[in-house]
Amino acid sequence: MTTQTPTSTTLARRTVLAAGGAGSAAIAAGAGTLPTAQAARARHDVFAHGVASGDPLPRRVLIWTRVTPTRAATPGSGRGPRVGVRWEVATDHRFRDVVRRGRFVTSAARDHTVKLDVSGLQPETTYYYRFIARGQRSPVGTTRTAPAKRATPANLRFGVVSCANLQAGWFSAYRLLAERDDLHAVLHLGDYLYEYAPGQYGMGQDNVDIRPHDPAREMVSLEDYRRRHGQYKTDPDLQALHAKYAWIVTWDDHEVTNDQWKKNAENHDDTEGNYLKRRARAHRAYDEWMPVRMDGTASLGDGARLYRRLRFGDLAEISMLDLRTYRSKQVETPLVDSEINDPSRSITGNRQLEWLKDSLTRGNHAPQWKVIGNPVMIAPVTFADLPNRLVDPVNDVTGLLPQDGLPYNVDQWDGYTADRREVLGHIDDHQVKDVVFVTGDIHSGWACDLPLDTSAYPVLGDSMGVEFVCSSVTSNNLKDITGQPALTPVVEATIMANNRHIKYLNFDDHGFSVLDITAERTQMDWFIIGSRDDKQTTATHDASFQTLAGTGTVQRVATPVGDR
Amino acid sequence: MCEPTTPRRTDGQAPFDRGLGEIRAGRRTVLTAAASGLVFSTVAGLEPALAAGPSTRKRAYVLVVDGCRPEEIDSGLTPNLLALREGGVHHPRATSMPVMETIPNHTMMMTGVRPDRSGVPANAVYDRELGDIRTLDRPSDLRFPTVIERLNKRGLRTGTVLSKEYLYGIFGERATHRWEPAPIIPLSEHAPDEFTMRATLDMVEEFDPHLVFVNLGDIDRLGHTDLTGPTTLEAARRLALVNTDRLVGDFVAELKSSGRWEHSIVIVLADHSMDWSYPDRIVSLQGPLSEDPFLADRFVIADNGGADLVYWTGPRAQRDKAVRRIRRIASDVPGVLKAWDRRADWLRLGPESGDVVVFCQAGWRFSDPDVYSNPIPGNHGHPATRAIPFFIGGGHRSVTLGKVSPRHARTTDVAPTVGAFFGLKPPRGGYDGRSRL
Repeated sequence: MTTQTPTSTTLARRTVLAAGGAGSAAIAAGAGTLPTAQAARARHDVFAHGVASGDPLPRRVLIWTRVTPTRAATPGSGRGPRVGVRWEVATDHRFRDVVRRGRFVTSAARDHTVKLDVSGLQPETTYYYRFIARGQRSPVGTTRTAPAKRATPANLRFGVVSCANLQAGWFSAYRLLAERDDLHAVLHLGDYLYEYAPGQYGMGQDNVDIRPHDPAREMVSLEDYRRRHGQYKTDPDLQALHAKYAWIVTWDDHEVTNDQWKKNAENHDDTEGNYLKRRARAHRAYDEWMPVRMDGTASLGDGARLYRRLRFGDLAEISMLDLRTYRSKQVETPLVDSEINDPSRSITGNRQLEWLKDSLTRGNHAPQWKVIGNPVMIAPVTFADLPNRLVDPVNDVTGLLPQDGLPYNVDQWDGYTADRREVLGHIDDHQVKDVVFVTGDIHSGWACDLPLDTSAYPVLGDSMGVEFVCSSVTSNNLKDITGQPALTPVVEATIMANNRHIKYLNFDDHGFSVLDITAERTQMDWFIIGSRDDKQTTATHDASFQTLAGTGTVQRVATPVGDR
Repeated sequence: MCEPTTPRRTDGQAPFDRGLGEIRAGRRTVLTAAASGLVFSTVAGLEPALAAGPSTRKRAYVLVVDGCRPEEIDSGLTPNLLALREGGVHHPRATSMPVMETIPNHTMMMTGVRPDRSGVPANAVYDRELGDIRTLDRPSDLRFPTVIERLNKRGLRTGTVLSKEYLYGIFGERATHRWEPAPIIPLSEHAPDEFTMRATLDMVEEFDPHLVFVNLGDIDRLGHTDLTGPTTLEAARRLALVNTDRLVGDFVAELKSSGRWEHSIVIVLADHSMDWSYPDRIVSLQGPLSEDPFLADRFVIADNGGADLVYWTGPRAQRDKAVRRIRRIASDVPGVLKAWDRRADWLRLGPESGDVVVFCQAGWRFSDPDVYSNPIPGNHGHPATRAIPFFIGGGHRSVTLGKVSPRHARTTDVAPTVGAFFGLKPPRGGYDGRSRL
């Protein structure tokens, strides 16, 4: 929250981490100040926004931080001097074996962010990194490089999250994931932050702001986007998870504004200026503040291409999609006209679609599991036969447009069926096996087969792959909107009865997921948290589903990974 | 397409007739298994010492479950294959190689090299010298030394039990011991698995070869003709799966009871998988290509079910122009997935495969030269039929129990695996595949 003191927040978090497990202790070990800077630290924390790493490759990984060289140099302020920042990467948390080090100069022109691509690392290796500036040391982050191109790791394990609205609750899902020591990285599938002003999109029916957004307005300007990123990155749970693992991120709509498409957005009007300029500002801030290679580099201003591949040996490759920047406008009357089937409309854009198809085949060089980081659901879902009184709440959660009982969510792949046919047809034409879409966006947990033909599926069971959808970290779900949890089972049962390829649906819980990949199978575990307004809430296991290699279908399993 | 209807032969001699000729010429000796009465031929004049073989107890058995889809092993219909898979080294990412047909993939298994080195890119090719389309079923069609011959040179005994006539034909006299398949079903030109497995067991019992290469053809043959295939009900095929699985179970039981299991590897794979097309999903390129004035009467198509091989027969100087036109016209025909210049690096098919290689989409089939040429619903040859089961069982210590590997296994990996098992050096120029042990 904007009123919290970054110094005390960070310190408190470090205390918590130091009391945690061995992995957490490592994060805290190097944190703090140089002895001579004790007094300066009391004035302000140079590294108030934590550290992060991302996009691990076999020999490279991005590391990130933001410095606050003077008290006035707050995010988005445009103030503050140029400052040199030293960085170090070591194989031990005490930094006795520093393998890479250097100096990075940042300034107000880039909002004093530091993002660099550290090369010369060893594959499948855990590293520790930190930054030093103005007499202070940053917290120590841990990260792990990807396996070598032809390696066959025993498993890969990722935390999976999406939809973290700061106003709607505490980021307990991040905290609970950070307490795990068994992950290789974290997948964030979008809606990392929200554009709304305080009071516009809070917790539950009454829009209660557990903590209000800063700035106290919808973010539109570059300053707004930078400040909002800065605010989110002061959250101790978010900082902890960034510091603990490398993140692999993509955006959905709220990183710019609600239901954006390539030329405009639902939540944008002329009073807010030119939409494309707004989007460019949002993308600029994202590039500054997120540990991600945009257009393949750590540099700023050289392009905003977010879709990219990350390979993990022969076991898996993750293809992260951008389904906002190139998409056609959502249709408004899918039952009246057939625009959702119009092949000229696209959710990916032509270039990204070809790239995605190439990700699935890649000649003879594709790894076994083709994991697609997918911001919105690809599994077909009809909401037909829902009771009328439940249509509007379901619309609110899923983003169904408009709110008049239409049977499809036109903001998902369901609104762009030609693209979906192209992708699933490509899988069929090339007999591609072991395709797993991992999805966010709709604040609910799902496990689905991916039928080429939904009408034939109940009889034939043909499936082109599977989809696992994680729930939201905090963003409202069905019971939050209806205020009547008892209604949810009716909705879930109706949807599953009308969509036989959906094997799991949880519309009511928030939390995180864990994706575990081995040569035998890929498994997703769903963990749900208690109340979003309880900072100390815990997680419980809700469900686990797996897809066995070669089958392209999901099946329930009893226990989550890590319990073995 | 596996050509279950009688393939055109323009040399006037069917493979079985040719085999009979070899026996009559005295190059092979006929033996009859006492128990079953099945007929085997053996290299004539095999010295007793050689027949006994070097003092290794290692045995390798390669069982090709022709046309099996990998997910069929998980279908519940094949418990014995599943047990073999789960007790050995499993490669869930395994594929057939282009053209996803029977003959090229069996030759890739036994040579370890791609068709541009073996000379065998498809089942049916246009023989420019002959001026006609023919099946690649002559021993001389296979130009690269097989692991069979290379083991023979080491003094090890080899055996082939090949249920399909054209496989019998192309592998010819290479093996020390060869089953002379019978009875042959006239329409499908293959021997039922019941007989093939009986022959395999007899061959192991009578001759105990170090390597036995077996093709079990029922699943493929019944898949081709299964009219319920497009609905994925696949009634006839499922019956074949159950039966073939039972026979594999019998084979494993025999290895165990005879004490061979502890010294053996059993490689199980398919040569390709299977796709089914609806009657209205037929691609015939003959018409569209003939309508082009530049191409008319100057091309020939060799239909391989899921792949058409198009040969330019006009002047060599106009080849590039012809390739461009063929690709453009073919790409516009509904049901065509892609038309490739045969010289594309990844294809590695060699000149025998013509100038343009056209693949169809899933659920379609080629039928050339006319729409009546290929009436069967089950087909392969196209990328939709590339995924195959591939696992290595056996009791030999080189087989890691219950291992699942994410590495991409291919049909070209069989010869390197068998070679590595017996300590053979790679052939000249190396393998294109890799050992999966």
